[in-house]
Order: sequence, then structure tokens, then C-alpha cells
Amino acid sequence: MSQLKDPVREGIQRGWKVMGGPFAAVPENITCDVAIIGSGAGAGITAELLTKAGLQVVIIEEGPLKSSSDFNQKESEAYPQLYQESAARKTEDKAINILQGRCVGGSTTVNWTSSFRTPESTLAFWQDRFDLKTYTVDALSPYFEQAERRLNIGPWLTPPNENNDLLRRGAAKLGIPAQAIARNVKGCWNLGSCGMGCPTNAKQSMLVTTLPAALDKGAQLLTQTRAEQFELRNGRVTALFCRSLGVKSADAQHLNGSNAIKIVAKHYVLAGGAINSPAVLLRSGAPDPHGRLGKRTFLHPVVMSSAVFEQKVEAWSGAPQTIYTDHFLETQAIDGPIGYKLEAPPLHPLIFASTVPGMGQSQYDLLKAFPHSHTLLALMRDGFHEGASGGQVKLRGDNSPVLDYALTDFIMDGGRRALLSMMEIQFAAGALQVLPLHEMAKPYTAWSQARDAVNALPMKPFLTKVVSAHVMGGCGLAGSESLGVTRPDGVHWQLENLSIHDGSLFPTSIGANPQLSVYGAVNRLAQGLAKKLSGQAVVLA
Amino acid sequence: MRRRSLLQISATTAVALALVGGTAAWIRPGLEGGALSSLGRKVFRSVATAVLQKTLPAQDGAREIALEGLLSRIDALVGALPQHAQSELSQLLSVLGNPAGRLGLTGLGTDWADASPDEVQVALQRMRVSGLTVRQQAYAALHDITAGAYFSAPSSWSMLGYPGPLII
Repeated sequence: MSQLKDPVREGIQRGWKVMGGPFAAVPENITCDVAIIGSGAGAGITAELLTKAGLQVVIIEEGPLKSSSDFNQKESEAYPQLYQESAARKTEDKAINILQGRCVGGSTTVNWTSSFRTPESTLAFWQDRFDLKTYTVDALSPYFEQAERRLNIGPWLTPPNENNDLLRRGAAKLGIPAQAIARNVKGCWNLGSCGMGCPTNAKQSMLVTTLPAALDKGAQLLTQTRAEQFELRNGRVTALFCRSLGVKSADAQHLNGSNAIKIVAKHYVLAGGAINSPAVLLRSGAPDPHGRLGKRTFLHPVVMSSAVFEQKVEAWSGAPQTIYTDHFLETQAIDGPIGYKLEAPPLHPLIFASTVPGMGQSQYDLLKAFPHSHTLLALMRDGFHEGASGGQVKLRGDNSPVLDYALTDFIMDGGRRALLSMMEIQFAAGALQVLPLHEMAKPYTAWSQARDAVNALPMKPFLTKVVSAHVMGGCGLAGSESLGVTRPDGVHWQLENLSIHDGSLFPTSIGANPQLSVYGAVNRLAQGLAKKLSGQAVVLA
Repeated sequence: MRRRSLLQISATTAVALALVGGTAAWIRPGLEGGALSSLGRKVFRSVATAVLQKTLPAQDGAREIALEGLLSRIDALVGALPQHAQSELSQLLSVLGNPAGRLGLTGLGTDWADASPDEVQVALQRMRVSGLTVRQQAYAALHDITAGAYFSAPSSWSMLGYPGPLII
């Protein structure tokens, strides 16, 4: 257990109103000005701004409240406690594993700190195809600046770890430009365990920034409390029904049969992330006259290539993802063959071992090479072409959400090109062997051999390892009612006192790690909402 | 092809049950009370000795301890899964634990407890590169759970050369 100061436990000592789970029971009836569903990127920014405007806010989070004292860099504890479905959430056919946060702070508590503004080309596409005239670089720029100030987002000046420097060196050898990734950290220890919760509170996640600010101003936080459905009447939300989840970790995923909790608010903000937010609306029978709800859900499908180097890489150590290249996004039209962003993810034992393909001797050899292993990933930019029009959020029989996402030939063609690009970079960086993560691939010791082999591989789901850590869309923004679920000001097109403030707003994928896109867009939406509800102008920083 | 996959799991279950002439009463669950049933343990023990053939300790005693540890970690992992995922895994293990289901899904003609690691590897490899989604799904579940759970324990980290978390 960390011996450092824990601002969350200190806040609880100071009298923060935290209920649910191991805290005081949640009352069966609550009234407030604004009920915010979720506590991640969009919810945190919204909560800080609305409380600043003097509004009474209730934050509803289905995951537990864990903080630096609990974050011990162990995957076996972090995944079940902090991630949706124990970090094993999958698309309906199980071809894609999805990493998504499920704890106070949402994915910001467990992300790898990569911070990019929404690319200009993405915004231009939204203006053009979704009639989002106010989503311009200039209009959003002040809101990004504030978010960057508030969350200490800036250049990371420590030299990259070897895992990332291999991307830099390999790309440089091939004349491919690669840049440093900005990070939302303050006094980062360069540990590399961001994905298991920051044990030093250096990561400026919602857990240690906006949520404490909101709680200090009197917001109520309901943990381990699931938002089930809205009650709707005459184009308005009249109540939100929630339920407490079990307290013990073993049953933390299950409803414990508690009574329904009824929350009545003047306004509701849905910010549960781009699978759970559409699901709340689906369970509520929300109006969807144009058949848009839960559709166009994007994942940035990721393919990976693993390499072994003579020197130690120790990809678990040091800040994750500090170098990237957009070369393969920028060398083709945004609506042409699918482009991809390359980054170097951190590796830890559980996730590494479950990703190493195969069995027996070949698996053992790869496992033994762990300290010398380096992996590149390619985030494919879905949503800009009819061949990558996203998945659909649906409800299972038990009303839990599931994403049906088709890995089309168009996407898998990008997967092949991405594997080739990554392998070439790894060989250029001096890899002894390279293994594209595909069930029919073998470790290759020369670029020409690897290239020929990958050109001959069947690029099919399941055979090709595909994962995702970025879920976007499903409640898409649009400037006209027929094109989306949400108006440009963040209010639901058919429900006047409901706003949507999370990654489900995005009408396409972002083409970059999305946290700062959520912060920037929601900062503007929440300032508008605060003004509308309170008459007061507030800013984030 | 992918959209049929869930139906295929159910269809496979149905086929397996039809083959053994069973009714619902014949089904032995793969999970009981949020942990592996004896049937589930049998399947995972056999899968683990195949997948981790070179990774598990070579000596019988040490291997037995490592396997027991692995099975209890799989229990912990399973217990933390949401209900829908537990149900699917229970169903998969139920089919695999049934002789007809095992033969149909994996091609393994020998009972899990009697099959050699090499035989199980051959069966798993067939599933891994199968053209049938349901076999690939089953392979991925067995492989990923086994390898992930094994290396979730600090006792496994020395083999990986992983030093473990820093004390803060």
C-alpha cells in the first residue's frame, strides 16, 4: 500500500458526501439540480463546472471508489476492480477485447495519459458530414487550452523509455516523422503503471482533479450504484432509477437485490461512456425517430506487432506511450483506405501472457523474452468510410449492454497494412525477431520474410488479434435532427432536459487517444449548461 | 459470419445434447456458485497442462502445486466476471466436459483427464485456426484465461524476468 498522501481519503475524512458500496447506504429518494451518470472524463469536467455555478449535483458511478492507497500496481487487483467486466469486456462475437474503466474517475483513472486535441481533419469531417458548424479548431481552442491548464497537460520532458524510443529510432531510420505525446501528469514518477491506477497521484485524472473540486463544493457521489433507466414524459426526463450493487468484490458486478433508488433532478447528464450511455437510453425506451441511438459506435480497432531485441526493453517500466507517429493517418485521404496511428503500449505480465499467442514451446520462448519484448500498436481510424461505419450497442436479455461490431474486410485491410508498417519499423530499430499478433504468424527474423508472410496471411477476425481501449459514438452529435442523437449544444434532440457529455457524442472516431477530445468538447458544453441552468458564467481554469 | 456466432454456441450446445440424447437435467454446469465446478476444473487442468506445458514446473509435486494455484486464480477471475460472461463460460465448459461436446468442439477423442498434453495441444491448435467461429471463440477463452490467470500471480513472475511492483 502506498505511503503517500491520498487526497481522496483525506477528502472523505473532511466530510465529502460519498455513499454506496462500503460507504453509507444510498437513500431511496434523492432530489438535486443535476444528476450526472458516470464519473469519467465528461462527468468530471461537468461536475466541476456545475458545482462552481452553485448547482446541487449528484454523481452516479457503478464502479467502486478506489484511490492511490489502493493502487498497488497489481493487474490481478486492478482489472477486476477498475475495469468494465474485469478488463475482459468483449464485442458480441468476442473478436475484440475492450479495455474501459469502471471506477470513480472512469477510464481517466486507468488510462495511459496520452493527450491529443481533436485533429483538425476530424473536425472538418464533422462540419461537412454532420452539420456541426461550431466544431472548428478556432472555436474549440480556448476550451482545450483551459482543459490543458486544469489537468496539467503538456509536453513530457523526461526521455522516453526504451519501449517508446524504439518507435522513435525505427521510424527515424525509415524517414517517418514521430513526435512526443503530451501527458496529463504533475510530478510523474515515470513508473509505468498508469493502467492500474496512479499510486502517486501524479496522473491528473478526474479522480484527483475535477471530482475532488466538485465534492469540496458539496456534490454527492453515489458509488457502486448503477443507473438503470430514465422515466420519460412529454419529451422530458422526470426521474432516474438506479440500484445499488454488491459491496464485496466477488459480487461487485451484480445487483444485490436492493430497492430502486429514485433521483429527481431538473436536468440530467449522461456520461457513462460510449457503451453504457446508449444502453441507459435503450433501457429507457428513449425516442429515436431516426434510428441513430447506439449506432455508429467506434473502437479504433487495434492490431499489434511484438518484437524481441537483443537489449533489455522492460516495457513495464517508464511512462507508457510517449512517442507516436501519425504518418499513416496523414499520407492518405481521411475517407480513403483506413489510416492508423502508431504507439508503443506498456506491457505487464497478465496482459502480456494472455496476448502471447500459442502454446507449449513457442509460447514459452516468447514469455521468456518478456524483458526484451517491445510491442507496437496501430489504432485504426474508423467512422470515415462506409466500410468502417461502426458497431451497434444492443441490450442482452438481462438488460446489460453489448456492442456488435463487424471487423469488415475494409478494416482488416488496414490491419494488414498496419502490421507491415509496424514490423518494418521494428526491424529498422534492430529487432532480432518480429511477431505480428496473428494466430497463423510465426516469429520472423528478417523484414523481407515477415513482409511476404504477412502479405499471405488471411486477415480475419479471431485469427488476427484485435483489441480496443477507445469506445466512441452511439449518441452522435449532429447539427440536424435526422443525422444524430445529440444537438450541437449537447442536449438530446428529443429530450430537452437531458445532456450527453462523454465520448458517445463523437460522430466518428477521433483518430487519436480520445481523453482530451472529451475534456475539450465537454468543457464547452458544460459551460453552456451551467449558464443555462444557473445564469452564471463559469470556466474550468 | 460473426453475427451467427452466439447462435452457434447455442446450436453447438443443442447438437452436443442431442448427440448424448440428453435433456436439461443431463447438463452439468461448468461453473457453480461463481467458481469452477469439478467439471470446469477438469477441463481447465487439462488445458493448462497443454497450453503451459513448458512453463509449468517439470517436477510432479511442484507442477501440482502450480496447477492448484492456477485453478484457484481462475476461480477468482471467474468470480469477478459479470453474470452474462459467467453464464457463457459455464455453458462452454459444460459442452467441453461432455464427451460428445468435447469431440464435436475440439476433436479430442480422449477424456480430458486421460489425454496427454500433446493430444490436447493438437486439439487446441485445430480450434485455434478453425474456420468455425465457435471453435475460435472457445480456443481464445481457454487460452487467454489460462495464460492470464497463471501470470497474475507473483510466483510466476521470476520466469518472466519481471521484478514486480515498486514499493511506494
